[in-house]
Amino acid sequence: MIHKHKRYAQVLAGVATLSMVAAACGSSSSKSATPSTKAPSSNTTTGPVPTGGTLTVGAEQEPDCMDWVGSCAGSSWGYWMAQVTTMPSALIPLKQADGSYKYEPGPVLSGMPTLKTTPVQTITYNINPKAVWSDGVPITCDDFKYTWQQIATGKNIYDPTGYTGIANVDCTNEAQPVVTYKQGQTYSGWMQLFSAAYGIMPSHILSKGDRDTEMKNGYDWSGGPWFAKWTKGDNITLTPNTKYWGPKPKLDKVVFKIEADTAAEFQAFKSNQVQALYPQPQVDVISAITSGSLPAGAHSIASAQTGAVEALWIQNGKAPFNDKAVRQAVAYSIDRDAIVKQLFGGLGVNKAINSLNPFVLADYSDQNAFSNYKPDPAKVKSLMTGDGYTMQGGFWTKNGQKASFAISTTEQNKRRQLTLEALQGELKGAGFDVSLRFRSAADLFGKDGPNGDFQMALYAQQVTAIVPGLCAQFCTKNIPTAANNQTGNNWQRYSSPAADKQLQIVDDSLDPAAQMAAAKSGDDILAADMASLPIDPLPDILLWSKNVVGPVSDNAIMGMFWNIDQWGCTGGSCS
Amino acid sequence: MLSYIARRILYSIPVLIVASFLTFWGLRIAFDPLAKYRNLHSPDAAANLLQHKKELGLDSPIAVQWWHWLTKALHGNLGISQRTNNPVFGELIHKMGTTVHLVFWGTLISALLAIGIGLYSAVKQYSAGDYIFTGASYLGIAMPPFWFGLMAIVIFVTWPVTTFHLQQPILYSIGLHGTGQSGIFNLDYYRHLALPVATLVVQSVASWSRFERASMLDVLSADYIRTAQAKGVPRRKVIFKHAFRNALIPLVTVMALDTAYLFGGLIITEQIFSISGMGRYFIDSLTAGDAPALLGWMLFTAFFIILFNLIADVMYGVLDPRIRLS
Repeated sequence: MIHKHKRYAQVLAGVATLSMVAAACGSSSSKSATPSTKAPSSNTTTGPVPTGGTLTVGAEQEPDCMDWVGSCAGSSWGYWMAQVTTMPSALIPLKQADGSYKYEPGPVLSGMPTLKTTPVQTITYNINPKAVWSDGVPITCDDFKYTWQQIATGKNIYDPTGYTGIANVDCTNEAQPVVTYKQGQTYSGWMQLFSAAYGIMPSHILSKGDRDTEMKNGYDWSGGPWFAKWTKGDNITLTPNTKYWGPKPKLDKVVFKIEADTAAEFQAFKSNQVQALYPQPQVDVISAITSGSLPAGAHSIASAQTGAVEALWIQNGKAPFNDKAVRQAVAYSIDRDAIVKQLFGGLGVNKAINSLNPFVLADYSDQNAFSNYKPDPAKVKSLMTGDGYTMQGGFWTKNGQKASFAISTTEQNKRRQLTLEALQGELKGAGFDVSLRFRSAADLFGKDGPNGDFQMALYAQQVTAIVPGLCAQFCTKNIPTAANNQTGNNWQRYSSPAADKQLQIVDDSLDPAAQMAAAKSGDDILAADMASLPIDPLPDILLWSKNVVGPVSDNAIMGMFWNIDQWGCTGGSCS
Repeated sequence: MLSYIARRILYSIPVLIVASFLTFWGLRIAFDPLAKYRNLHSPDAAANLLQHKKELGLDSPIAVQWWHWLTKALHGNLGISQRTNNPVFGELIHKMGTTVHLVFWGTLISALLAIGIGLYSAVKQYSAGDYIFTGASYLGIAMPPFWFGLMAIVIFVTWPVTTFHLQQPILYSIGLHGTGQSGIFNLDYYRHLALPVATLVVQSVASWSRFERASMLDVLSADYIRTAQAKGVPRRKVIFKHAFRNALIPLVTVMALDTAYLFGGLIITEQIFSISGMGRYFIDSLTAGDAPALLGWMLFTAFFIILFNLIADVMYGVLDPRIRLS
């Protein structure tokens, strides 16, 4: 399953594991590099966390709905605030000591599920006997079965990938759901099932009516540590679920106050109206942090170990980028490290990413695939002249045509605008005539991308699960065509039999070693062809006031609030 | 008067119909109603797309599509928001309920201040007070609301907290209510309302007071005022009984139109102060390419503009009986 999350404006076409994020999208990954974390570290307390108190958090975006499997879902903030905190999840992605992420059983399970690959793919889950819904009804196999049926056969489901191939969920033992795939069907991302942005839904509550109607405007049940009450237009408030079988929340209440304006959000933090923020890595945010204008005692973290990649996505089917030499020459004209340093250097993030897979998928990618693409005027000259271009009037020209192209990006994003202006200058110096095209998120992701109406575009893609695979974005079969009603997600129109082969293995294989090898190989092919160029690791930024204590830390996939049940307030008050 | 209102309402109907068609046509060109379904990851996305195309009637000519939409709209069915899956009509009513808070208080306070300042500036023309108000008006007109809003937050919210180490600010900058609060009969509401209303008032007062001043000066130089003064009518009576009412007529037009636009949402103010009204709804819908929501929003806005035009005309009649008779 793939879930695309919008952080700010819009959720877009997502694919196997990556999902497109619009406007001022979220995080990103740093492949090669170091964690790039700024002090202080994540833990703000060493002793026991006090109980009680209300914490108010500034939320940059209000979710469109809370039917997490429906087509209206997809908001990152909805996922972080209310899905993670109320929906039981079979497996959860947790950060390991080495910085990588691995799936571990969630509180709803008593251990890791077991996978059998023959004669057909089966997954056996063991439900924690203590796991109950907020009304005291045990979480059972029926809930797994209901969730599968809703996603596989429901109308307007966000993404049924992985669920449609299931033949049955066997509930012979109510505490041990057994998922069996159809003959000949496999799903390499099986660890996402009943997890990630969907979770498990309560059959005994939802089966009485229509799931979407029951959930989309909020719900009064929970299978997690919190209840979430949504006051539309104003806030989402979490209160403890007393029936939760795991560790009880420390706080009495968490209020996510909707505050869409970044500048006003910071003022709200400084004036103590909110005590924690999870802001976009925008210019003004970085400036506020690096200028030391945060309130006394406030904490901040900037992490580059995230789940997103911001890249120059290239339309390989359109001139001049239907020519590999031009794509490569452009890549050798750009000093990506310098751009990243200029944007995020103040946060300690100085290196460009070198894979189209984010850091959280480091095991399934070659995080140095694009590292050879550094500024090299000699290579640019060699590639362009070898391709028949000559330098005329400061620009590469072939058959009377200048090597000119437009770079599109989402409008009203100062950081992206600065990035493009820097790129424009560098590329002009290298002999390319570049214009900038600022588009609304709806236009860029709703029209330009699917229709291939762009030459190069700067935006980010973000994973919501640890499932590798770039096939959706780069396999030939996923190129939007009239035959598939422009529904494919390979907006780059990239086509390579060699890449198809490797990326398809990543999608299909149930053998992690084979997946890893194929994914690395796929990355290398994409880099050699310069299918698109990864640029920067958008860091995740966390801010919290001095009164907030507990294991505050980022989870690149589940967000900043993944363990908010263990946060507390000093002196019984966070404000 | 009733027949006059009825006639104006009848005139408004074709205006609304034409506006709705142009809006519908424009949005169909600007947004792909199927974009949302193209981005779903379903393996049978292509088949679903065709089904949705049929369900939405997109295979019909644009005029037919518009007519279907309009007939449903007349029954209160503005379609389903592609962003939230909720009925657009209900969402607009809800958002309007929020925006009304700002429009009501903003218009009321602005009107009182603008009339007072305009009146004073006209009567005391070229006095120190007149110069001060004139300068302040230009300043108010020149200040963009996003800048004024943010400065107001810094000065009236953040600065007192950081300077005097307050636990909570005196005035708030997020939303219209604190968590768990509701209603309008509590201090919390007014502590939240003060700054967004001030942001609106500064701009409105600045321009409206200039209108009122100019209008009052015109009236004060009219023959009938001179006659009244020559006949020894006390100055206070001349101003308030004979001049003031006539001076209001041009201002009423401006106020009615400005207020109508406000119902479309105070886009910047609502964004800065996190108020989920019509302005935020428009921005969110526009960003998401939510055509049904945008259509509903534009129809609502067009309706209010026409309504307030009507109110302005009626007010003319009330303020100047000659207009009513004609």
